[in-house]
Amino acid sequence: MKSIVSVSLGSRQRDNQGELTLLGETVQVSRRGTNGDMAQAVKLIQSLDGKVDAIGLGGIDRFLVVRQHRYEIRDARLLAEAAQVTPVVDGSGIKDTMERRIIQRLHNEKLIHPGQQVLMVSAMDRFGMAESFEQLGYPLVAGDLIFASRINYPIRSADELEELARKLLPELAKMPFDQLYPVGDAQTQAGDPRYHRYFDEADIIAGDFHYIHRYMPPSLNGKVVITNTTTRQDVELLKERGVRLLVTTTPVLNGRSYGTNVIEAALIAASGLTADDSRWAAVVEATGLEGSIVPLTSS
Amino acid sequence: MTLMEALQQFVNECNKNARLREMNRDWSRRIQLESADTKSLHWLVSDKGEVEAGSGAVDNPDMLIEAPEGTLTAIFSGQMTPTEPYNNGDLLVHGQQDDMMRLDILTLLIWGE
Repeated sequence: MKSIVSVSLGSRQRDNQGELTLLGETVQVSRRGTNGDMAQAVKLIQSLDGKVDAIGLGGIDRFLVVRQHRYEIRDARLLAEAAQVTPVVDGSGIKDTMERRIIQRLHNEKLIHPGQQVLMVSAMDRFGMAESFEQLGYPLVAGDLIFASRINYPIRSADELEELARKLLPELAKMPFDQLYPVGDAQTQAGDPRYHRYFDEADIIAGDFHYIHRYMPPSLNGKVVITNTTTRQDVELLKERGVRLLVTTTPVLNGRSYGTNVIEAALIAASGLTADDSRWAAVVEATGLEGSIVPLTSS
Repeated sequence: MTLMEALQQFVNECNKNARLREMNRDWSRRIQLESADTKSLHWLVSDKGEVEAGSGAVDNPDMLIEAPEGTLTAIFSGQMTPTEPYNNGDLLVHGQQDDMMRLDILTLLIWGE
């Protein structure tokens, strides 16, 4: 059986294993957290190199794609280069496609409505989603500066997001990753209640689940949450907070919404192709992979 | 350009930029700059979106930044980004990581691209 491992900078508490069937091929999938320890992640990737069919990078993006620009996170490149044989992927090869698709689907099925306020807790890592919302008529607040850097400044358009990415990312991408994004135990630390108002003002909350989990207020009554990498416990928590609809951008399998890096790695294992192959888009389409839409409360 | 001239230029750029003033509106900090080679002291103070600079010591600093005077001058005049000297140990920061990140972001937004 084909196998892939997602090596994550996140907590070991979220480790799991299972099987994914893509294009008729069953792939054994395992997620292994390193609690934010870069050196351990490098060693783990080196030990897996040549022994599995693909390796996913979890808890870190290698590439941030903002319109025509692609910014590479230095620490993620170092992780990817720890493998000499096995392809290492961060999920960016499918993220844009799947996330644009799910927003369009929610809009088409009238599960969300133009004019509803969107909070994207981070959008430089999901520019396709931000652009989709804006193009479909949803007012957008991107919280990249708020939640990543505690700078209380809401970004209010995809153009401004692009401008800030152009000015900031070439340099910030060179910084140690743990200064850019919470890793390991930092992912479970309580956030700052000063930022609850951005959640309160939004009808739709989208983006990275660690930021949502860390900063969300006690009540999310009636809101739509669009994210991924949720576990059964996360779903229960969102239900307790009153979330009306939970949308995951990747499929839910065995109660868990996998990260895009897992899906991309499994697809490489199943298809033998990588995202730079001209047939890749057709392969992604052929999987029929879809996110999930789960009503949580009736409010 | 002297370090004081660079700091004054940085302060002017912060204060005339509406977006930076909005970003700093709830950021009140006293920052001490120490030149590692000349031992000269300078300060930056941010209060309700306005930033001021001066020479000498500041009372009860929230943050201490140490680097050779030429490096500090280059950073605050936009000739150098803080990332490289920070990563190679020429720029030492004592204080909250968030404050360091904010200074990085301010310099990049003033002189980025």
